[in-house]
Amino acid sequence: MVAVRRPAKTPSPPSDDERLLVEAAQADPSAFDALYELHFERIYFFIFSRVHDRASAEDITSETFHKALASLPSYEYRGTPFAAWLYRIASNAIVDHYKRSNREQQLDDLEHPLAQPELSSHDLEFIERHVHFFRLVEQLPEVQRRVVCERFVEDRSIREIAQRLSKTEGAIKQLQFRALQTLRAQIGDRHA
Amino acid sequence: MPKRSPAQQLDQAINAVLSVQQPLPEPNSHPRLAALVALVRPLRAVPHPEFKARLKADLHRKAFMNEAAATSLSATPADFRPPGFPNIAPYFVVTDAAKFIDFLVAAFDGTERGRYKTPDGKIMHAEVAIGDSVVELGDTNEKISPRPATTHVYVKDADAAFARALDAGATAIFFPTSDHPSGDRWGALRDPFGNIWHIATPGRWALGSAGMPRSVQPYLHLKEAHKMLPFLESAFNAKAMGVHTSPEGAVLHATMEIAGATLEIDEAHGEFQPQPCLLHVYVANPDALYAQAIAAGATTIEPPQDKPYGERSAGVKDAFGNLWYLARYTGRPQM
Repeated sequence: MVAVRRPAKTPSPPSDDERLLVEAAQADPSAFDALYELHFERIYFFIFSRVHDRASAEDITSETFHKALASLPSYEYRGTPFAAWLYRIASNAIVDHYKRSNREQQLDDLEHPLAQPELSSHDLEFIERHVHFFRLVEQLPEVQRRVVCERFVEDRSIREIAQRLSKTEGAIKQLQFRALQTLRAQIGDRHA
Repeated sequence: MPKRSPAQQLDQAINAVLSVQQPLPEPNSHPRLAALVALVRPLRAVPHPEFKARLKADLHRKAFMNEAAATSLSATPADFRPPGFPNIAPYFVVTDAAKFIDFLVAAFDGTERGRYKTPDGKIMHAEVAIGDSVVELGDTNEKISPRPATTHVYVKDADAAFARALDAGATAIFFPTSDHPSGDRWGALRDPFGNIWHIATPGRWALGSAGMPRSVQPYLHLKEAHKMLPFLESAFNAKAMGVHTSPEGAVLHATMEIAGATLEIDEAHGEFQPQPCLLHVYVANPDALYAQAIAAGATTIEPPQDKPYGERSAGVKDAFGNLWYLARYTGRPQM
């Protein structure tokens, strides 16, 4: 991740708002949406940072949230944030994923600090910086966001994107440039 | 040698990072280039928005089903949908329903679930299962004119289904291609009854996987489609699963979820012009949703009432001319 200066963020206890969201979802599972929106990016990145593979990250993220939804009725507050519970489910899902795919050599990677559910404040800060960054990407103007998504998420070439958006390659490069400039400026504004 | 623009220099540096994993561009090419190229790595970690939307929809569907199951165990004697039905079933009104059933069976491996006939031999109502979904249909009569519709059908082999549909009398609009933003292999055709079918094999997702829509999804091509989205949200508690718009604000594609089922919407274009359709939406409380839809601007077709065919049903019409029948299943008589 890009180097940004920001005070270390330590684990905080669950806020009253989050507690209300959890209680609402326990009473009405369809209210789980709000918890999902709140935590999707951090759980996804927590997993992605360990498996380094988009397809696996998506599979494990899906498994994590499905397990969380299924286990929500038995969840109890014990003074830790809801995210900590999700990280633990995600960690178990990663181990299960590797066991299933029989990739023994990858298990060593799980010894990395980020592979453990007990995250340090540095790890949490690392994750939160990315969550913040992902949300900045979401806020880009639509056409810039689409160029960024196709270029970096879908691995498309400038030529492909130009054809798909019916623009010139030069225009796509310019949109890409503006998008990165915007992101760079926003990171600087918020973290300097 | 002409000087390259900052955008060109940046793209060259990005290509280097993406292709050979070079950490940084050549120095001094542009004062802020290195700072921008440093964003490539976190950008590669951005979750795909379509994945996020699909997973959310799947979780919502799962939660909804759990809730419905819990309700049925505790209070309601049966599901509010007929067995095997999705929450949204398109209803086709055609001039020769018997032949239309033959078409659905031939093109999409449909399975007829049964039919009610009128004394003159016409089909008053019939149901055909396609994949994990059901479509309903009936013949026209003196009161009901043909009502062709547009539908998205997800199959395991779009090319094979497309070929079967052509053999059964359909006309190609465009043959299946993989060059679509969704990654699906996708073609479109018009059947002999005037209905348009988008036939697709999922690309980056699999049938039955997280977030997949059902095998059959209504597809609404609309003029000023962007106006439909807030209506659906306020009338039917719809949730936008993914909305892609042009820089001018036109809806390029939107997937909306209603009561755990999905439908697709886009701005009418080319061959894909509005075909106001009839949708049968199964909900737990049609009375409440009817009132909500009217308050959101729909006009009434009929207020909630118990039907002899085993439903409590109400009908509303939206501003685009689509007919929505909101129903709770109460036990259908044998066909």
